[in-house]
Amino acid sequence: MKNRSSVLPMTLITVGALLLSGCAAAGNAAGSADRQGGDPVAGGDLVIARSAGATSVDLTTVHNNNSIFVADQIMEPLFMGTDDGKEVKPWPAEGYEVSDDLLTYTVTLRDDVTFSNGDPMTADDVKFSIEATTKTADTGGWGYLNEGIDTITVIDDTTVQIMVKYPWSPFIAVLSLFSNAIVPANYGGVSAEEFYEAPVGTGPFAWGEWKKGQSLKLVKNENYWQKGKPYLDSVTWTVVPDVNTRKLQLQGGQIDIDEAPDWSSFSSLENTPGIVATAFKSTLISHVAFNQLSKPFDDVHVRRAIAFAIDREALIDAVLFGNGTPANSLLNPGSPYYDKDVKGPTYDIEKAKAELAMSSVPDGFSTSISISSGNTEQASNAQIIQSELAEIGIDMEIKPLEPTATRQAVQSGDFDMTLTGWTMDMPDPDHWTTFAVDPDGGAKSDYTSYNNPEVIALNKAAQRENDPKKRAELYTELQQITGDDAFLAYLYYSPYAWATTDKVNDFFVTPLGNYHLEDVYKSE
Amino acid sequence: MLQRLSFIPGRLLQAVPVVFGVTLVVFFMAHLLPGDPATAILGDKATPASLEALRVQLGLDQPIWAQYGLFLANLFQGNLGISFSFQRPVAELVFQAIPVTMSLVLFSMVLALAISIPLAAIAASGPNKPRDLLVRFFTLIGQGMPQFWVGIMLILLFAVNLRFFPVGGFGNSPLDNLYYLFLPALTLAISISPVFIRSLRSSTISVLGSDYVATARSKGAAGAPLFRQHVLRNAAIPTVSIIGITLGYLVGGSIVIEKVFAIPGLGSLMLNAIYNRDFPTIQAVTLFVGLFVVIVGILTDIAYTALDPRVNLTGKARA
Repeated sequence: MKNRSSVLPMTLITVGALLLSGCAAAGNAAGSADRQGGDPVAGGDLVIARSAGATSVDLTTVHNNNSIFVADQIMEPLFMGTDDGKEVKPWPAEGYEVSDDLLTYTVTLRDDVTFSNGDPMTADDVKFSIEATTKTADTGGWGYLNEGIDTITVIDDTTVQIMVKYPWSPFIAVLSLFSNAIVPANYGGVSAEEFYEAPVGTGPFAWGEWKKGQSLKLVKNENYWQKGKPYLDSVTWTVVPDVNTRKLQLQGGQIDIDEAPDWSSFSSLENTPGIVATAFKSTLISHVAFNQLSKPFDDVHVRRAIAFAIDREALIDAVLFGNGTPANSLLNPGSPYYDKDVKGPTYDIEKAKAELAMSSVPDGFSTSISISSGNTEQASNAQIIQSELAEIGIDMEIKPLEPTATRQAVQSGDFDMTLTGWTMDMPDPDHWTTFAVDPDGGAKSDYTSYNNPEVIALNKAAQRENDPKKRAELYTELQQITGDDAFLAYLYYSPYAWATTDKVNDFFVTPLGNYHLEDVYKSE
Repeated sequence: MLQRLSFIPGRLLQAVPVVFGVTLVVFFMAHLLPGDPATAILGDKATPASLEALRVQLGLDQPIWAQYGLFLANLFQGNLGISFSFQRPVAELVFQAIPVTMSLVLFSMVLALAISIPLAAIAASGPNKPRDLLVRFFTLIGQGMPQFWVGIMLILLFAVNLRFFPVGGFGNSPLDNLYYLFLPALTLAISISPVFIRSLRSSTISVLGSDYVATARSKGAAGAPLFRQHVLRNAAIPTVSIIGITLGYLVGGSIVIEKVFAIPGLGSLMLNAIYNRDFPTIQAVTLFVGLFVVIVGILTDIAYTALDPRVNLTGKARA
């Protein structure tokens, strides 16, 4: 007996996706680069400049976005996050069915999908790929996120049956994660190392040329399963570390897209003729993290006092030049199950003083904040927070360290406070909530050592709850309690800044940060 | 002449302990940095379990002496190791970056000499006259302006407004590279030429006052031939050693210019390797820069010997 109710929304989404792909310009219009209308123009090389290059195209292990967002143009997972980042749609899959006990998923594949080398994608490739990813749990890769998968069975060429160890709601979202991208079974007969020198996938672009630290070029996959796409002949990512140089290259027409203009020059770019600067909705949340193993941060009143003492609007004006919104929750508005009505601590100096008076250190105390040197956003935030905390009697020293050194200090618990953030990798909050609130969920509660059994239980229940409505209730409660506990002081939600020339059409960045270059075309 | 060059093999032998000393110091300094490669690679989303697994995978769980021993053992077999961040042979990365940086360094040296020699000659031909003051003013300005600012100004003028040159990047063929590297090479040339000009100017003034120039003049030599044959050769000797030192500095010191102009050279490679704690790459770049500095030192001595017959570096007294 199959649960058809979960298939229907997926089918609707599929149909919707097909309709949208036929009129991509309309579907992506909100917040995207300039739309020219008319028919897409085929051809051209799209040049994207970024501050750092890819380091690896092995999606099962690589952890930096510069690599992930390139490699996922070559290799695709079975499911894909929707453009609003809140749901999952079938991609080279037709859809799935789930059994009543929520333990068996049957995924049907499209029968017209081939790899860029022309070989058809079959169930064998799916089984091999997902199992290969799972194994990377032992070598520092993303395999631990597949932890709930029990067995994968090939039924026929286009059908795969996946058993999960327990009812596991985020499962389809996990299948949409870049790390579960499909590659040919047994890497097409070569070793993993050889395969990732020139990987083959079902994505819109195929391997071109990689000059490490300089540029990486992908060429059109002539066998792409979305017929007629991609429009571009090739895409080249170039490494241009200096933000001013990227801006000048864009103005000079040497590049088509600047991946990360800084906020200080964003409005001037917006007003530059021929340039389109866009702030895409993101899943980015920035916050102050407290080390609860370091006194007095084990005291909830101290954490709340700090959370109330921070003027988020001031940070947004000074650091993001107005391009952000104060954060009220552990989740970002770009994530599913975000609740805008959750009341996280907001700026209220009287409440801050009152909380501190109730704490173990009513007369204030001295502490420090660890930040990454060279990161102007963190430096400005830290300076503003420093002066605001001084008002309630907290003397906070700013400790800038080289970025990897800061990260190491935080991950080994050698810090008082720090500035961190998170972006989602899949359209499900579970990866982040488990990382953030469950001490056994991988990362000692985002390295804060926060441990609230009630929240841990809520997170586990949400993980196993398949009814979206009940899941939403669980996540709302989780958001409210974590806000009250102030284990992080949420600062703001900020969008992704991008700038393109006005010749670039239908460029759209999803809240997860990835982009669908198969839809993009360049006009004359 | 050949006999006077017999110091070269000895110098090369001396280079071996120097270069090994450098790799040893850099290896342990890099390991003293807080934050390890696994932390750098896995970033903010790392879990303690994934960090530990990656450390084992990269061999970072081995004692530090064992890691250095492995580096040396590999080196003797001509293997520079595998880059932690790229998971590719380090040699591939370094040999890709070497021609880029060498082109930039040599190009900027050629431009610097093309600027310095005429300006020094003009200044020396009339000490304290307006033309000398003008040249000295240029050297002050050239030295006073920060490299990155000069770079951005040149980009704004020649690349964005006039569109004569590209805004940074690197080409695909040697000719293409001359075009791409012109502005960064000019930026470097502007910053290094003041030292050349000052050195050449003062040695030219002193040579111009020497007896042999007076003799040459009395024999009828004048103008450009006098400058080329009698003055420049003698005046160049102090500048040759400055050029040698500058070359060594440029190979490791062009990081800022490489960043402003998005040039994928050794500087960028080294900087990223340090940020990512990519020890094998740090080691390989250091090894190359060390070797390069030693070789430039030897070449400088050869140039000295060739320019000045009195120079004898063999350590033996002349018969």
